[in-house]
Amino acid sequence: MTTKHPSCRAIELELVATATGDADARSAERVRQHLGGCAECREEFGRYRAVDALTRTLRAVPPPDALAQSRAGLESRLADLKHRRVTYRIFPSPLGHILIGRSEDGIAVIEYLHGGNTLGASRLARVEGVEAVPGGPELERLERELLDYIAGRRRALDWALDWRLARSDFERAVLEATAAIPYGAVASYAGVARRIGKPSAVRAVAQALRWNPLPIVVPCHRVIGTSGQLTGYAGDKLTLKQRLLSVEGIKLRPGRGDLSIARDAMYALGEGETEYCLPTCGSIGTRSLALLTLFASRADAEARGLRPCTSCRPDLHPLSAA
Amino acid sequence: MGLQPFEAVVAAHHAEIYRYLMRVTSRSGEADDLSQETFLRAYRAWEGLDQDANVRAWLFTIATNLARNYFRSESRRRRAYAGAWDAHSDVDPASPEEERRFHETRALVERVVDGLPVKQRLAFILRKLHDLEYDAIGRSLSCSPESARAHVFQALKKIRLGLNGHPLPTMESVR
Repeated sequence: MTTKHPSCRAIELELVATATGDADARSAERVRQHLGGCAECREEFGRYRAVDALTRTLRAVPPPDALAQSRAGLESRLADLKHRRVTYRIFPSPLGHILIGRSEDGIAVIEYLHGGNTLGASRLARVEGVEAVPGGPELERLERELLDYIAGRRRALDWALDWRLARSDFERAVLEATAAIPYGAVASYAGVARRIGKPSAVRAVAQALRWNPLPIVVPCHRVIGTSGQLTGYAGDKLTLKQRLLSVEGIKLRPGRGDLSIARDAMYALGEGETEYCLPTCGSIGTRSLALLTLFASRADAEARGLRPCTSCRPDLHPLSAA
Repeated sequence: MGLQPFEAVVAAHHAEIYRYLMRVTSRSGEADDLSQETFLRAYRAWEGLDQDANVRAWLFTIATNLARNYFRSESRRRRAYAGAWDAHSDVDPASPEEERRFHETRALVERVVDGLPVKQRLAFILRKLHDLEYDAIGRSLSCSPESARAHVFQALKKIRLGLNGHPLPTMESVR
C-alpha cells in the first residue's frame, strides 16, 4: 500500500462521495479545494467518476418472460391468500368476549371466546386453510351492530355470510334452515330436521348447531327441544341462550331442571301454514313442537307475511303482553 | 387499510423488486421465489402499515431481509447466472475496441460486486442501482444511515481497487 498524505487520507471519504454524486455542497467544496493542489487525488477523483458511471450501467436483465411469469405466479398466490384470509376482531360484550371474523365473501365466524381473549382462544387459529389476521376499522361497524343486536336495539343483521366453516353439506343445510327462523320466533331441533328433509336426524341437528360457526346471526338460540326446554347452547352457555331469547321478547319459565319457553304465551304457526294461531286454537296446543314455529308477538309473525287465523282470531283476542 | 389497493402496489413495484433480487442473488429462480415472498409478506402486513409510510422503501426492506436470510440459511456459493448481469448501456461506444474494453471492465466490476460481503453488496446495490436514501438502506440492513454510507464507501473502494492496473473506459463511452 502506498502511503498517502494525511490530508489526502482525511478527505478520501468525501472525495469518493463527491465523485459518485453522494456528497453535500460543503463536502464538495472541500474536495474541490483539495483537488486544486493535489494531482494524485485529481486522478483518483477521475477514476471514481468512471467507476460511478460504470456501476450505473449494471443492470440485471431477467430471462425473457421471467418477469411476467413471476408476476402471474405472484398474483395467483395473492388471490389464494386473499381467499383464505379472515380478518378478525375481538371485543368485550355482555355475553363475554366475542370474536368476529370476515372473509372476502362475508362473515365467516362469530365465536364466544372462553379461556382468553386472544386469537389463540379461538377455533379460527386451528382451522386449516384459513389465514387469520387482525382486522382494521372495517370490523368496528360489525362490532357495533352486533352489540346493538345483543342489547335489543337492532332486530336484523343483514350481513353476507361465508359458510366456509361449516364442516359438511349437512351442517350447512342445518345452519341455513336455522338462519330462516325469524326474529322473535322459536322452532325445535326436530322441526329443523324436518325442514332439511331429514326428520330422524334430530341429534345430528343438535350436534351441528353446537358447532355453529355463526351464532347470533345464524340464530341457533331460537332452536329448542320438543319439550319446550332450552336444552343447550354453544356447549354450556345456556344463560346466553336465555338472554338472547329474552331480548327478542320470548317468555321463559322454569321447567323441570331447565328453562322452558312459555308455550301458552306464544302464537303458533303450523307446518306449511300461512295463518298464525292463538295457542288455544283447535288442537294446536297439543301438537308436537316438531311441527310448529312459535312467535313471541303478532308483529313478529306478521313481519313474516303471516295472517291471523280466521277461526281463533288472534287479531281480535291478542295474548296479553304481560 | 392502506392508501391504495394492494394490486396497485404489486403493479407499481414488482418489476423493480424482482430486478433487485436478481442482482442480489444473481439467479432468476431465486428472484422469482424471493420477490413473490416479499409481496406475500407485504400483503399480510398491508393493513397495519402507516398511512404515510414509504411503500417502496418498505418493500425493499422486506426484500432485503429475505435476501439476507437466503444468504444466511445456506452459505450459498453464488454461481453467477449467465446473463443476470447484462451489458446495458444507452450508448454505442465509439469504436469496437472501446466497446470490448467497456465490457471487460464492467465484467470485472461485476465480479468485484459479487465478491463483496453481503451487507456491502446490498448497500451498494440499494444506493447505486435503486437510489434509496441512506436512512432507508440503514433500516433495511438494521444499521445506522452512517453505517449504510460506510458500506457503500467500502464497496466503491473495493471496486476502484479491483480496477487497479486496468485501463478505465473513457467517461464518454459509459455516459
